[in-house]
Amino acid sequence: MASLFNAQSMLDQPSYSFAQPTSHSEPRQHSFYPYTDNGGSTLGISGQDFAILAGDTRSTSGYNINTRYAPKLFKIGGDGPNNTGSKIVLSVVGFAADGRALKERLDTVVKMYKYQHGKDISVGACAQRLSHILYSKRFFPYYVTAILGGIDEEGKGALYSYDPVGSYEREQCRAAGAASSLIMPFLDNQVNLKNQYDASQPQGFGKEPLKPQPLSRPHVESLVNDAFTSAVERHIEVGDGLQMMIITKDGIEETYAPLKKD
Amino acid sequence: MDALVAQYSRPAHQEGFADEDQQQLTADIQPPLSLKFALPPIASSQQWLRAMTDDNSNPNCPIKIAHGTTTLAFRFKGGIIVATDSRATAGNWIASQTVKKVIEINSCLLGTMAGGAADCQYWLAYLGMQCRLHELRHKRRITVCAASKILANLVYSYKGMGLSMGTMCAGVTPSEGPALYYIDSDGTRLAGNLFCVGSGQTFAYGVLDAQYNYDLSDEDALELGRRSILAATHRDAFSGGFINLYHVKEDGWVKHGFTDTNGVFWDTKLNKGEFSNVTANLD
Amino acid sequence: MNHFPQAWGRPRDDVYGQYNPSYLPQSHGGTQQPITHTQSPIVTGTSVIAIKFKTGVVIAADNLASYGSLARFTDVHRLKHFNRKSVVGVGGDVSDMQYLDRLLKSLDVEENYSTGSHTAEESETDPAMMGANNLHTYLSKVMYKRRSDFNPLWNALLVAGLDEKNKPFLASADLLGTTFSGPTMATGFGAHLAQPIMRRIVPDEAASQQLGREEAVQAVRDCMKVLFYRDARSMPEYSIAVIDEKGVELKEKEVLENQSWDFADKIRGYGTQTV
Repeated sequence: MASLFNAQSMLDQPSYSFAQPTSHSEPRQHSFYPYTDNGGSTLGISGQDFAILAGDTRSTSGYNINTRYAPKLFKIGGDGPNNTGSKIVLSVVGFAADGRALKERLDTVVKMYKYQHGKDISVGACAQRLSHILYSKRFFPYYVTAILGGIDEEGKGALYSYDPVGSYEREQCRAAGAASSLIMPFLDNQVNLKNQYDASQPQGFGKEPLKPQPLSRPHVESLVNDAFTSAVERHIEVGDGLQMMIITKDGIEETYAPLKKD
Repeated sequence: MDALVAQYSRPAHQEGFADEDQQQLTADIQPPLSLKFALPPIASSQQWLRAMTDDNSNPNCPIKIAHGTTTLAFRFKGGIIVATDSRATAGNWIASQTVKKVIEINSCLLGTMAGGAADCQYWLAYLGMQCRLHELRHKRRITVCAASKILANLVYSYKGMGLSMGTMCAGVTPSEGPALYYIDSDGTRLAGNLFCVGSGQTFAYGVLDAQYNYDLSDEDALELGRRSILAATHRDAFSGGFINLYHVKEDGWVKHGFTDTNGVFWDTKLNKGEFSNVTANLD
Repeated sequence: MNHFPQAWGRPRDDVYGQYNPSYLPQSHGGTQQPITHTQSPIVTGTSVIAIKFKTGVVIAADNLASYGSLARFTDVHRLKHFNRKSVVGVGGDVSDMQYLDRLLKSLDVEENYSTGSHTAEESETDPAMMGANNLHTYLSKVMYKRRSDFNPLWNALLVAGLDEKNKPFLASADLLGTTFSGPTMATGFGAHLAQPIMRRIVPDEAASQQLGREEAVQAVRDCMKVLFYRDARSMPEYSIAVIDEKGVELKEKEVLENQSWDFADKIRGYGTQTV
C-alpha cells in the first residue's frame, strides 16, 4: 500500500494545478502511428420538432487539402445503400477512416434491427447502441467525435453528443471537431442564452438570466450559417462547403451551400 | 522463436478478409454490452493507450477523454445524500457543463461518475443490467453490498488496462439499511459513511468533514452536500457547472434539483456572508 | 489510478510505467520519428496523379522505383489495369504494390467465376461487372484492415474508372485507410506540385464535366513534366491510362516531350549558391 501511495514522487517537484509538459528521455521506439486528423467541424442543434446537423466538407492532411467535398454527415438506417427513408443522422469528425468504419457499423446495426424487429429503431436506442460501439474500442479508440441527431418518440428533436470512447449525453446543441472551441461558445450564447440577462429587470447580483426558448427552424439555420462562416474566417481546417441535414418527422432534408475556399 | 517462425511463415499471400468481417458482423448483431473489446495488436497495448490518452503527462495527446469531477456521498440518519458537480473536461477544454454524474441504476440504487465518463457510463449501465438479472433470478432486490462487489470484481479484472473510474454506489435496502460503497478502477472497494471522489475531492472533504454529523436533519444534510460541492467548484478548475443533488431514502431516491452553481454561489455569499474573500463591489 | 487532485483519474507511473511518448508523432508531443517505423517502405514509387473529364478519367504515374535516393528500377509499371472499367495507380512501397496486384488478380478471377462469364467477351460486356467504385471500396477496406492490425500496406492508391452507371469515378485510399474523392487527385509529391495546377484547370465537379478527353490528357502530361522538373524521385518515362466507355487505354512507355530546363538557369538561393 505504501508503494502505491508514494506521495514523494508527486511532491519532490514543484507542481501546478494545470498539466506540465514532461520531458521525455525514455527508450526510443519506432512504431506505426495509426491515426491522422482530417480536420473539419460539425455542429448540431435540436429544436421543438426538428434537429439540424451540419458539417463543412473540407478534408485535410496537415496543411494539404485532400478534397473540397468529403461529407461528414451520414444517414443511418433506412433502405438500401442510399438510406432512403432514414430519420437518423450521424456526424463524425476526426480521423475520417475511423469515422467511416463507425458509420458503417452503426448503419449495419440499425438495418439489422429493422430486419429483426420489423420496426425502425428509436433514436434513444440508436444513441445507446452507438455508445456501446464506441466503447467496444475502449482500448484502441476510434479517433472521432460523433454527434447523432433524430426525432424522439414524442416527436421532439433529439441530439446526442459523444466523446471518442462513448460517453454520451442528450443536449440542445453541440459543436465538434477542429473549430469546436470557436463555435461552441457562440452556441452557448445564442442557443442556451448563457450569460444573457433580462435588461428590463433590475441589474446587479440578482439579475434575471434569460430563459432559453425553443428556436424556430429558419433561426437555427441562420445560426448554423453564422457559426460556419465565422469558423471559416478563423480556422484553416474549415471551409469549402457547408452540408446540412434537417431531420423532421417527414424525413431528412439535405442542403449544401458553398463556403470560402481559401 | 515461435512467434518469429509464425511471423515469417504466413501464407505468401492472404486471400481475403471475409472471416473477420463476418465476426464483426456477428458481434454487431449480438446484444450490446458484451465484454469483447478490440485491442491494438501490439505488445504493450496499455502503454500505447496511455500514450494516446493521458492528457496529464502529455497535454498534446491526440485523444482526450472527458475527465475531472467532484462527487460526494455520505450516510446520515435520514438516508444517504449524493451530490456532484456537472463539468467534464478534456485537457483544458470544458467539454460539457451539463453532465449527469449521478447515474440512476434503478429506483433504489445510485451510482456516481468520476474519472473517464465513458468508463463510468458503460460499467454502471452494465451493473444496472446485472442488478436486474439478479432481481429476476432471486425474486428480490440486490443488496448494495452485492451490487458494488459485482462492479469491483469487474473492474479488477480489467486492472492495468487503463480504465479510470472512481464511483460510489449508494442505496437503501431492507436488509442493509442505507449503504454506501466506494469502488475505483484499481479494484478498491470500501464501505463507509462519507466519501468525496475526484479532482475536487480535497475541497469537498474540507467542508464536509467540518460540518458532518450522523444526526443531521434532512434539510441540513442536503444543504451540506450542496455547500461542499460549491466549495469544490469554487476552488477546483476542473469542477463546475451545476450541482446535482440526490437524497436516497428507504423507499427510493429523490432528486433535489440540478442547480446552477453561479446562483448558489452568489446566494451563499450575499445572504449568508460566506466567501468573504470574493469582493462584492459592482462598481 | 492517480488520486492526487492535479492528476486525478490519470494513470500512475508506478503502475503503468513511465509515460512512453515514442508511440506518438512529434506533432502530438511524442518522440516518434516521422518516417521511420517498425515497417517502413524500402523500394518506393512516387506520385500518382489523375483528372476526371466529361466521359472518363485520365491517370498517370512514372515508371521509377527508387531505393532511397537511388533510382533503382526504371521499368516498374505502377498503373494496374483491373478490368474494362478500372485502373489502380499505386504510390509508396513497391512490394506492397505487388501484393495488392496479386490480391487484385485473385479478386478478378473470383469475380469472373461468380458472375458466370466464361469467355473474355462475356466478361467484357457483363452488366454486373465491378465498377471502379466497388473496387475502391474493396481496396479501402483492405487498407483499413491492415492499419488496424498495425501492419499497414505502405501505399497511397488512386482508383480511376467508371462506376456502375458508367459515370467517371476517381478516389484515393492510403495506408491508414483514409479515403476521399474529387475531380482531381494526386498522391505523394503530386499533392503539393500537381494538385494546384490541376485544380486551376478543374476547380470543381462541374468543371470536370465540361472537360474534354484531349485537354485532360494534356493537363496530366503537363503535370508529369512539372513533377519531373522538381521531384527528385521521378523519371521522364511514365505510364498513362485513359478510362472511358470505350474501355481502358493504357500506355506504359510514354516519354516526356518538349522539356525545357531554361528555368534551371535562373534558380538562385539554394545551398551555397546565393548570388
